[in-house]
Amino acid sequence: MAKQPDSPPLAAMVPSAPAPPGQSMPGRWLAGVALLLIALGSVGAQAQAPAGPPPLAPAGAPAAKPWDAVLIASFNIQVFGESKIAKPQVVNVLTQVVRNFDVVAIQEVRAKSDGIIPQFVKAINADGSRYHYVIGPRLGRTVSKEQYTFIYDTNRIEVDATSIGTVPNPGDRLHRPPLHTRFRTRINPPQMAFTFWLVDIHTDPDEVPQEIDALADVFSSMLTLRPDEDDVIVLGDLNAGPPQFGRFKKMPNAGWAISNATTNTHRTKTYDNLIFDKTTTREYLGRSGVLDLQSTYGLTLDQALQVSDHNPVWAAFYPCEAQNLPGLQATTGIALAPR
Amino acid sequence: MSGSESSSLPALIAQLASTNPDERAEAAELLCRAGTAAVAATLPLVEACGDDDSRVREWAVAALEELGPPPAEIIDHLTEIAAGPEPLSAYWAATLLGRAGRDAAAAVPALATCVASAEDMAVRERAAWALGKIGPAALSAREALQQAVAQGKDARLARLATEALAAIGG
Repeated sequence: MAKQPDSPPLAAMVPSAPAPPGQSMPGRWLAGVALLLIALGSVGAQAQAPAGPPPLAPAGAPAAKPWDAVLIASFNIQVFGESKIAKPQVVNVLTQVVRNFDVVAIQEVRAKSDGIIPQFVKAINADGSRYHYVIGPRLGRTVSKEQYTFIYDTNRIEVDATSIGTVPNPGDRLHRPPLHTRFRTRINPPQMAFTFWLVDIHTDPDEVPQEIDALADVFSSMLTLRPDEDDVIVLGDLNAGPPQFGRFKKMPNAGWAISNATTNTHRTKTYDNLIFDKTTTREYLGRSGVLDLQSTYGLTLDQALQVSDHNPVWAAFYPCEAQNLPGLQATTGIALAPR
Repeated sequence: MSGSESSSLPALIAQLASTNPDERAEAAELLCRAGTAAVAATLPLVEACGDDDSRVREWAVAALEELGPPPAEIIDHLTEIAAGPEPLSAYWAATLLGRAGRDAAAAVPALATCVASAEDMAVRERAAWALGKIGPAALSAREALQQAVAQGKDARLARLATEALAAIGG
């Protein structure tokens, strides 16, 4: 059964946000006018020496995230279990990756222990960050099981605790039916917040066409699941690129963040993506990418493969519901970096 | 990070049979990291799916997910394992036979038996899937597949058997 551990106390709303690095005061002012009511915060960004092993790249205090964009990522952390969590340098890279984003949908938690993700989140928060997590049940048709998890920055994101669950799987069409959770941005006033479903998926590589079509059906169902929610983002390791998107390609409004980039660590395949409805999720800012582990953290290919055989993929969304603010455009440059 | 990744494939295959579970887990992880270059280790990895240590099993499964079709010379061995008692090894043997497509035609009788009587439902399902991948060369499995459809005890097995029958034709 999917669950959310005991939630941390909600952080105080922040009345203003810092200027992003490199942004001039006039630029900041214009952004402030455009987003007058937004108070997406960075409360947890106090400077603290990172605990644990020395970083692979200068980390220091977590840099401020863009305050006019929500960064949502997907990351298949291959066989994330006891072996991987025991490698400090690998965990160090993984924590830096997560700190770039507001929510990270993770696939391939494969562990006998229930302590892997709590231990990982503790490592992420060692620098003063305030991340928390939602984790799903162990799934799979054999004794080899996987869990999905969402790790999110509680300074900027809230979870609807009643929304956490595993997608129904009639006919057993999906080897590992997705974990769904509804999130909202922490802005003031809260009724302007961007709310959205995330649907975390890792398809079976041997049944990709069938599972992609089943996933498209899940996507359609989720779009109408709640009358008050029209934003559904399916994200994960699809084991397929857009040319193999089957039924999704027949949906005139379906869009995806990653089109012409490889997402595996070997830089040979496009497996990972974020899929959403372009007409309802107008909060998408048109910015997305692949965080290349090798180049971002100065790793050799083998070192990057110790972290995962996948690179994280991400997309940026406006932190307010689109109907509240027309003409969306992020004013802040989005630069992902070691944190 | 560790620089112990330079071990040769034969050395890693040998390490996979170590009596030390830590060494076996390390070997399975390094073979996984080798990607498709570890194809010569396909058979030992399938056997490692039956390891007592969960770390070994998980890394072996992860390695097999990436390996693609098996070498033709191990089809007979995979066929034996698919019919064997270890469920996870049998599941992956059936998967690899399916990936081999028509090159695994010799495995059809064993896979048909799996569909009909394997104790583990995941093995029965994967065997039905594999027969569909083998295609027309699996004609002799039609009866086993038709029975799986008719029994209808498991919706997924019935669906996979139906899809396999369509792929086999005849």
